[in-house]
Amino acid sequence: MEEKVLEILEEYCEEALDYVGENMMEEGVIDSFTVINIVSELEDVFDIEIDAKYVVADNFRNKEAIMELVRRLLEEA
Amino acid sequence: MQLISSGFVILWIISFALYYLVPVKRQWIILAVASAVFYVIGMGGVPLGLLFTGAGAYACGIYLQQSLAAQGRALSECAEKEKKKMVKQGFERRRKRVQILYFVCSLGILLFTKYTVAVWPFLQEAGLTTLGMDAFFSRVVMPLGISFYTLTAIGYVVDVGREQCEAQKNFLQLLLFLSYFPAITQGPFNRYAKLQGELERPHVFTYERMFFGVQRFVWGAFKKLVIADRINLFVGNVFDGGETAAPGSIYAVAVVLYMLQLYADFSGYMDMALGVSETFDIMLPENFRRPYFSRSVAEFWRRWHITLGTWFKDYVMFSFVMSGAGRKIGKNAKKRWPKLGKHVTGIVGTMLVWLLTGAWHGRTVSYLLWGLYYGVIMCVSLVLEPQYGQWKEKLHIKEGKLFALFCMARTWVIVFLADVLIRSETLVQAGAVYRALLLDFRLGEGILTVTDYGLSLYGFLLLFGVCLLWLAVSVLEERGKDVRRALASCPMPLRWGCYYGVALILLITGIYGGSYDTAAFLYQSF
Repeated sequence: MEEKVLEILEEYCEEALDYVGENMMEEGVIDSFTVINIVSELEDVFDIEIDAKYVVADNFRNKEAIMELVRRLLEEA
Repeated sequence: MQLISSGFVILWIISFALYYLVPVKRQWIILAVASAVFYVIGMGGVPLGLLFTGAGAYACGIYLQQSLAAQGRALSECAEKEKKKMVKQGFERRRKRVQILYFVCSLGILLFTKYTVAVWPFLQEAGLTTLGMDAFFSRVVMPLGISFYTLTAIGYVVDVGREQCEAQKNFLQLLLFLSYFPAITQGPFNRYAKLQGELERPHVFTYERMFFGVQRFVWGAFKKLVIADRINLFVGNVFDGGETAAPGSIYAVAVVLYMLQLYADFSGYMDMALGVSETFDIMLPENFRRPYFSRSVAEFWRRWHITLGTWFKDYVMFSFVMSGAGRKIGKNAKKRWPKLGKHVTGIVGTMLVWLLTGAWHGRTVSYLLWGLYYGVIMCVSLVLEPQYGQWKEKLHIKEGKLFALFCMARTWVIVFLADVLIRSETLVQAGAVYRALLLDFRLGEGILTVTDYGLSLYGFLLLFGVCLLWLAVSVLEERGKDVRRALASCPMPLRWGCYYGVALILLITGIYGGSYDTAAFLYQSF
């Protein structure tokens, strides 16, 4: 799962791979447009539905947070 | 009662003193009373709309919370996965219906009030009403701060529904969240979880906090009175009355100054609001992060009116994209255009957000065009972003200081062109200004007559000086320096020299009315 998430990030936002901070969205590493593309790709690849309530800065604060979100949604599915 | 008025300062001092005298558990009551006094007596507001919106949000929040709890209980009683899914969907559907009903009602009131004031003169002219739009009537149909508290209340209802916060059980505390007096007229937009956390924690008086709050308030007043209102003397003369006779060079100066005016006015208000709040030990979210240092329009809007941008992003854009309709559009687009289709939902969401942002800012076609303009630029630049790297390589462009300056200048030009639209009184005037800028620049005439528009040579020189000071502070902040703390830790003569200097400039050169009152803030009209 982690590899696939990293592949998606590499395709849409390479900078996210090297980012080590705690707020990618606020620091402009990842914009809302890219978030939408990443969410859409994650939904397709993992066959999950990411509700708007999960699309918050905290779940996209860095690559680990995105992986954690996917892991949680896969468990819930 | 503007923030810069004796009435406000008296309200501030009294509520500040009482706030730290009462037990910490009762501090919110002082703020609630101060907010009510500011709204009703200070600003002459009729709180009917606020009470209605607040009551709706309160009831909605309680219902959502109860529904979520009932859903949890029902799910724990289900063993089968399919049944669980059905039960969950049933609860979600009911919650969505209630939320949509609330959004339609509160946005309906907002739209009704915004457009009634605009349409009323036409209704009178057509003989459809004999009621005059007097001061009281206009306050009833256009409640003070309605744009701000409506969006804030919607955000609260969405957050409760998304389980990002718990519903408020005390109606008066919810009302305080919606009408907190430093933020009620122009924001910043508060998020319930954040502000409630601030309001609920105990606040103990410290000299340092009071000092920093007042310091920030004075800096905001400086930007408003010395910079924004001085610029208005020139810009108002050039644009007001719909005249289009000035040379293009005068319009160029006026629009550049208007860009600064809007920024000084709005960020000045924010400094004052955040400063007042800081004295109560309540930290409000920052609304500006030196937007004119932005290298792209997208970055500009991440730094300008930050809380409005995040509100639209979180509650409109993501809600739309993740909705059934948004997903359907995205899937169809991907099927039809495998390469570019992935961008379609983002493009539709961005355009929706920008058209709404335009409509939120003003009632005229100019504002819709302004929103459309930014929406198109955002979409084009975001879609083309992956190509930028390749173009830079092909053109042998290296990312240095010069390139950064070029990117900033490009952002200024884009904002400049947009500001012509919103500063011109009519679309016809905006068209004439664009024409004058392109075909009738008359540089020589502009230089000779620039002081004929309400701002003398002394005024320009003073403006230049204070803008340099503002720029210096901004550059230091941009480099990560905490100017306020650095100044506070300077040796006493230097520190107080700076404070007295700013205070003197403010008192001597600020643009005041008859009794040291001030002109209204620009963003108050949005």
